[in-house]
Formats: sequence, C-alpha cells, structure tokens
Amino acid sequence: MNAISQLYRRFNNLRGRRVFILPTRFGVLYGGFLILILLAAINYNNSLGHILCFLLASMGQLTIHYTYRNLAKLELVSASSEPCFLGEVIPFTLRFDNPTQYDCYHLNIASKQSNDRSWNPLKNVTGFRYQPHQTRDVLPANQISSHRITVASTQRGLQAIGQIRLSTQFPVGLFDTWTYFTPDCVAVVYPAPAGHLPLPTTIDDGQQDIGAQQQGNDDFAGLQAYREGESAHAIAWKALARDDILRTKQFSSQHSGQIHLSWLATTSLPDTEARLSQLCRWLIDAENQGFEYSLNLPQLDIEKGHGHQHQQRCLTALALYD
Amino acid sequence: MPSNTALIWLMASLFLAALPHFYYQPSWVSLLFLLMLVWRGLAIRQHWPLPGRHHRTLSMVQWLIALIALGLMMNSYGNLIGRDAGTALLIVMLGLKVVEIRNHRDYYISCFLGYFLVVTNFLYSQSIPTALLMFIVIILMTSCLISLNDVKQTLSKISQLKLASKLLLQAIPLMILLFVLFPRISGPIWGLPQDAHIAQTGISNTMTLGKISELIQSDAVAFRVKFDGEIPANNALYWRGPVLWQTDGTQWHELTLSQQARHSPPVITASNEAVKYTVTLEPHNAHWLFALDLPNLFSKDLTTRLSHDATLLSDNPVKSRVQYQLSSSTDFVMAADNDPHVKAALVLPNGLHPRTRALAEQWRQKANSAESLIQMALNHFNQAPFYYTLTPPALSGDVVDRFLFESRQGFCEHYAASFTTLMRAAGIPTRIVTGYQGGELNPVDNYWVVRQRDAHAWTEVWLAGRGWLRIDPTAAVSRERIDRGMSDILPRTSLAPFLFTQSDQLIDIWQNIKHNWDAVNNAWNRSILAYGPELQKSFLSALGMADPNWQRMAMALLLAFSVILLVTSALLLIPRRETDPIVATYHRFCRRLAKLGLSSRLSYEGPLDFANRAAKAFPEYQLEISQITALYISLRYDKTMSSLSDFKHAVKCFKPKLK
Repeated sequence: MNAISQLYRRFNNLRGRRVFILPTRFGVLYGGFLILILLAAINYNNSLGHILCFLLASMGQLTIHYTYRNLAKLELVSASSEPCFLGEVIPFTLRFDNPTQYDCYHLNIASKQSNDRSWNPLKNVTGFRYQPHQTRDVLPANQISSHRITVASTQRGLQAIGQIRLSTQFPVGLFDTWTYFTPDCVAVVYPAPAGHLPLPTTIDDGQQDIGAQQQGNDDFAGLQAYREGESAHAIAWKALARDDILRTKQFSSQHSGQIHLSWLATTSLPDTEARLSQLCRWLIDAENQGFEYSLNLPQLDIEKGHGHQHQQRCLTALALYD
Repeated sequence: MPSNTALIWLMASLFLAALPHFYYQPSWVSLLFLLMLVWRGLAIRQHWPLPGRHHRTLSMVQWLIALIALGLMMNSYGNLIGRDAGTALLIVMLGLKVVEIRNHRDYYISCFLGYFLVVTNFLYSQSIPTALLMFIVIILMTSCLISLNDVKQTLSKISQLKLASKLLLQAIPLMILLFVLFPRISGPIWGLPQDAHIAQTGISNTMTLGKISELIQSDAVAFRVKFDGEIPANNALYWRGPVLWQTDGTQWHELTLSQQARHSPPVITASNEAVKYTVTLEPHNAHWLFALDLPNLFSKDLTTRLSHDATLLSDNPVKSRVQYQLSSSTDFVMAADNDPHVKAALVLPNGLHPRTRALAEQWRQKANSAESLIQMALNHFNQAPFYYTLTPPALSGDVVDRFLFESRQGFCEHYAASFTTLMRAAGIPTRIVTGYQGGELNPVDNYWVVRQRDAHAWTEVWLAGRGWLRIDPTAAVSRERIDRGMSDILPRTSLAPFLFTQSDQLIDIWQNIKHNWDAVNNAWNRSILAYGPELQKSFLSALGMADPNWQRMAMALLLAFSVILLVTSALLLIPRRETDPIVATYHRFCRRLAKLGLSSRLSYEGPLDFANRAAKAFPEYQLEISQITALYISLRYDKTMSSLSDFKHAVKCFKPKLK
C-alpha cells in the first residue's frame, strides 16, 4: 500500500501542478480549416492533400504538449507586497521558479478581479474574472525570476492578493493553458488621504525652544554609533568600508514643533472612514512639514516621533483600525 | 496589431505558397496578388494608413479592386466554384486580406488561408518538388504564427524557424500513422467541376497529320509497365490505343457509336503464351487504356471492356493515375471469319487523292493477291526515296498525295495514313491503330517506361480467313524505329539538356540521373500518391490486419495514437538525466543520505550547509560527508585540485546504514 502511494506521489511530482488547457477560438478555427482541407483532399482524391491535413493535425496535437509544458513545472517561490493608499494599486512581487530546460515565454500573470459568473461555462474557466493580461513575461529555463503585478486596492485594511492566474498561448496560439496559484501574501492598504480640516496647532511644552536643533534628515551633522532600529538608509556605508564600524549619519533639521493628532479632533466628520482619511492626510502633512507627531486612536496611542518608519507605523495603525 | 516583421514574413510565406499558381492562373490574378502585397509592403514602409473605418477612401479602393477582380473572374471562368476559379478567388481574397490585416484575428485567418492555399497547389501538381516547396511554406507559415505569439520579439527569426521545423519534424510520426490508418473514402463527395483535371497531353481519338509530332518532343511518361516474366522483344511492343476508321483526307476519326454495327469485341484466338504485366497509366482524361496488342484477360480493378475494334476501354475517363493488371498475347488472330465493319474500312473521301488512287489501281492490276499488293506497297515505301524524319515539312491541300509523291518525308502517322489510303483505294479494308510503340527499361527499378515520344500509329488490314493483320508501314521505311525504339532514333543530343550534350559520358550521366529520378517518382506515385481506399486495404492486409474495414482502422488508429501520446508526454515530462558527471555523482551522494531519512537538499541550501546538516543528523559519518563535500566543491570550483575518479570512488564507497 505504501509502495503504491509512494508511486502515486512520484507520478504526481512528475506531472507537476494541475494545469488546464483548452483550444482558443483560433484553435477552433484551425480545426475548421483542417476539416475543409480534408474535404478538399477527399473530393479530389488527393494524396498530398491528405498528408497536409494529417501533418497540420498532428502539429496541432503537438502544440498541446508544447503549450502545456510552459506551465507544467512552474512553482511559486515567494510573494511579497508593498503598502499603498486606498485607491492606488498594490504592487505585488511574485517570484517563480522554472526548473525545466525550456524557457517559458509570454506568460500572462493576472489576479482575480471579480466573482461574477457568466452563463457560459467556457467563459468562466477561461478567466474573464481575472484582470486583463498584464504582463507578458519570459521565465528563463532553470532560473527563479521576479515579476511585478499590480492589484487595485478595494478596501482599507489588509488585502490578500487572492488567486493568481498564469496563462500562456505560446508557441502558436491555438491552445490556451492556465493554472492557478494562491500565494499567502497580504498587503496593507492605508486609508486614502482626504479631508480639509486644518492641521492641529503645535504644542509648545516649553522644554524646547522653537528652532532648537533636533535630529532630522536635512543637514548633515556628523556620525554616531549605530543603534538598533535605525534606518538602513542612514548607515554610513563609506565609513563602514573604511574601518568596519557601523555608524549612522546624523542630520539636523529645523523642527517646527510637535503636534498631536487625535481621533477626537475629527469628531466633526460624518463617519469612521472619513475620520481615518483626515488623520491620514494630517499624518502626511505633518511628516512633510517636519513636525514631530503623535497619534491617538481609541485603544491605541503612538508616541511622538517622526521619519519614514514612524509614519508607516502610524499609517498601519490607521489601516488596521476597526 | 501584429508587428511589422511578422507581417513581412507572412507576406513572404504567402508569396511562396502562391508561387506555383503564377504558372497555372491567368496573369491578372498573379498581378493583383503581387500588387496587394506591394501595397501592404509600402504601407509598412511609408506608414500609410490601413483601409477601414477611418479611411473610407482606401476601403473604397479595396472594394473597387475586389469588384474588378470579381468581374474578371466571371469573365474568365463563368463561375466561382471549381478548382481554377476557386483558387483564383482564394488568391485574390488573400491579397485583399493582407492589405487590411490590423489585428491578431486577421493575421490568424490569413495564415490559415495560406495553409489552404498550399492544398490548392496539390490539386495541380503532386510532384516531389511541389511537396518539398510546400513543406517549406508550412514551416514558414508556422513560424509566422510563432512570431505573432512572440509578442515581445524575444525569439530571433532563426529560433522561430527552428521551433517551427522541430514542430513539423516531431509531427511526422503521427502524420504517417494517420496517413496509413485514417479510413479513406473514395471521392468525389460532391460532383467535381469540369476543370478538376488539367488537359492532359497524350494520344487523342482523332489524328490530324502533323499532330503526333508535338508528342514526340515530349519526355513525359505516358505509362509504366511491370512485366511479370520476360519482356517481349521491342518490335512486339505495340501498345494499342484508339482505332481510327473515318477520314476526310487529312483528319482521321473513330467510328461513332451509331456507326458501329456491333459493340461486342471481335472473336480473338490467341496463339502464343500470354504475357502478364501491370500498367500504371498517367491520367489522360479519356476512356481508353493502353494494353499490349492484344489483351485477353482483363483486370478486375477497373470496369473495363474491349471495344468492337479491340481497344481496351474503361467505363469512366481516366482522371487520376490508375493501375491495372493484364495479360496479352502478342500473336493472335482477330475476326478471321468476318467483321461487320469491313465496309467502313474501305471508305475514302470522294474526289480526293487522285494520284494515290491511280497508283493503287496500277498495283491492283499487277498484283495477283491481296498479300502481294500489300508487299508491293511496303516495297514502294522501302525503295522509293522516303525518309523517316520527326520534323517533316508542313503539308497543305491534298496531304496524302503531296506526301506520297512530293515531300516523301514524314513519320509514323504520314506512313500509316498514306498506306491506309493506298490500301483502301486498292480495295483492301484497312484501319489505323494509334498507341505507343516500344518504350525503355529503367534499370533502377526495372519498370518499363513508355513516354509520350513513343507515340505511334500503325495500320491493320483485313484479309478474309486471316482477320485483321498488323502492318506497320513505318517499319518498311525505318526498321530501327520498330526494332530498337524511339530513343535510338532520336539524336543522342536530344536525350539530354544542352549542358550535358558536350560528351557521350555526360549524356550517360544525364540518362543515369534521369533513370534514378524516374524510379523515385515511380515509387512516390505508387506508394504515396496512389494510396487510396484500395491500396490502403491491401497494405493493411499485408501488415496483418484481417479484413480491414473502417471500424478496425479506427481502432488501430486509436491504439497507436494513444501509444504515441504516451511517448510524447513521457519525453516532454520526464526530466532529462543530469549530463554533468560531477553533478550526477553528487546527486547520488545526496540520494544515499536521503535514504537514511535526511530530508533532501533545499533549493537555497549550499553543499556546505547541507553537509553540516547531514553531519549533525549522522555524526557517525561526519568524516565521509565532509570529505565528499570537499571533493565536490573543489571539483566544481577549483578543477585543478582533485580528480573526478577520486570523487566518484569516494561516493561509491559511501554506503551509509542506519545503526
């Protein structure tokens, strides 16, 4: 029993993933032309006509294998995403492994776009629910290659990439072959920045003079030993190459002050999404204008700070608010 | 929108596919097609707009051309169906289509129409060169489809062509299978249009003095014969065709059906052993089948009968190459007692040939028997200054008188016609038999080949008690023609093209090439072109299929197809074996570890990491593992350090067992 199941597993490995294949409309047309050729050959008792018809038929048959082979052994290695604001497209990066000896040409990578069903079952399987052909990439033989696809963001929060449909008609376009992947990959969608409320006024706690020197990223102010959590952008690579000590470049910037962005400051807005959008707008403005800012949401407080990482932390908090 | 390169290649392959048609079709079809290709070519070069919704004027021009073409076509053919008209229509349509290709759909349709154009070529010629040209066209056309799907143009044209050729070559096994096993139906399914078969050259059922001479220039094969036993002597090889009775002085005709007193064959007594042979006749679009004079056993392959004047006839005109088995006796007596048509063999046109009649009258008074009269006539041909020539001077007026008394230069038909006129004038029933005489052996495949230039005309006289006797007046003038055959009569330089006539050796080389080529053609005709329902049955029986019918063929086809499918999928899907011995040996080492239960090497795991993991799992083999890994690494990255055999040996000796 064990031997049989092992054999079955080996066969399954050999077969590769589940790949579907159907003739395209040109494949059907090709079949029609073959029938015409056969009729002409029979009618005129034409031997070479028969040969031509049979040759084209077996070439057509062969292209089934060729087309199928494009996808049979492909494997998804990894998928990653970058956050985006609602309304923008989410960039996903998929990495595929083509372990075969053959290059795989003209791969269409599409993600599921809707759940509509059509009365025509053929239409359902040939992927009309997937966004139109996005990329026509080549997967070189024996290599892992990255491919970017974009998916429209639909909702604030976490958005899974969903099902990915890979299809190709190479080499002759008579058959369309496709397969599905469902990568375990989720993107964070920030609320869309919106709202016209003015940025809350700065808090002056008296400890710091306006215009005091603060760490920022405008003007170079010297090097300092690396502390965990500092951005990789700030590392002084040249200095590192010189003496193997990890240091970060320090910049000074003119801070206009601190502001506190609070959930309660947006009570005048009609609903949660609008309030989140307003907060998002403020976060961006505050960062751009060089403020230090803190964020307060119900059940969540983020200490004051600034910089890319801080901004992302705050935006993620907005994205995940429920 | 297909790329310009793809378009240009499509046009090139369509041009090649249509090329043979430039010869068969009226010139305006070819011109129109070329014009359309040039239009599209210029449109690509000069960035002209395409006809369509946005450029109504161009569309109008296109429609105008289509209408003109339609008019010309109706003018030339009278209809749009049938082989010639259909092909012309297809070519013109393709030309017009090429001009307006704007998307993938148009491109695909043009490609498929191109495939169809290839078939129409085969309706005109099924020769080996045509087949080769068309295979090239198919490769080109398929590469066009590939380039259309190669959207980013990542493949070079060479690799596209390579891929297309690979597809074609790999498709051949299945093609052969289908060719052999696909149940054949005998066509036509629907009525063939009149023009289905080109006017074939060959002997006709009328003889106008001067007509056969065109055939004599023709090297085309009339038919091929395979003799079962020994080949009879050349002067017995009279291949009987239509028999001509009636004349108006220059033209000779067969007896019409109403003039025939009897339709059944004459009484024939054969007096020597029959010769058995098989004839493969090239199509000539007429009813008669050529047989060695005189056939007595007919083939069952065709519905044949012997006419009242002993010509073998098929019920249907011979429109495609046919094969029939016959047996003939070269020594025979025909209609010895009486023939109701004897009177018809005495008729001469009134008031013509006065000098011939006078000569015949003179002979009749001298001769004491019909035999001696005939001998006198033959002696006359032999002794008077008659010349056998293939290029006689043109004759007009009373052709027979002019020939007998003035020019005296001619070939078989002049002698046959004048002899018949003389005999009829002297009161001896005489008729002309047309056909072929002689032929030559192809030493390559031992087929006896009879060419158009072997066309001949001889006569038969009827004598009471002896029946119809063959008299060949040409033999009286030129014995060599009958004894040695036509190829010896013709000057040797006429047997080879100009370049090969410089020396005898070259002519021999040319003859040799010709014999080989002819044998190849014969094999091609017999095994491939003739493969129809009949041949399929006999071939499959010979292969061991009992009583082949379409159900059995379909079953066999299905089985064989499944086998081919299995083999192709296996070839495509089973991974290739590692060819690098170093990698292969290392894989063996990994497999041995895997047998112990170590999970296999991960795709991101280098050999060192893998060795560490293995050594941790099996500390007892730590030394071997690290040794083998070190050897592998040095072999892969530092070839000078160690030898492959050491590495192989180390892996061979590494036989870990679980303790």
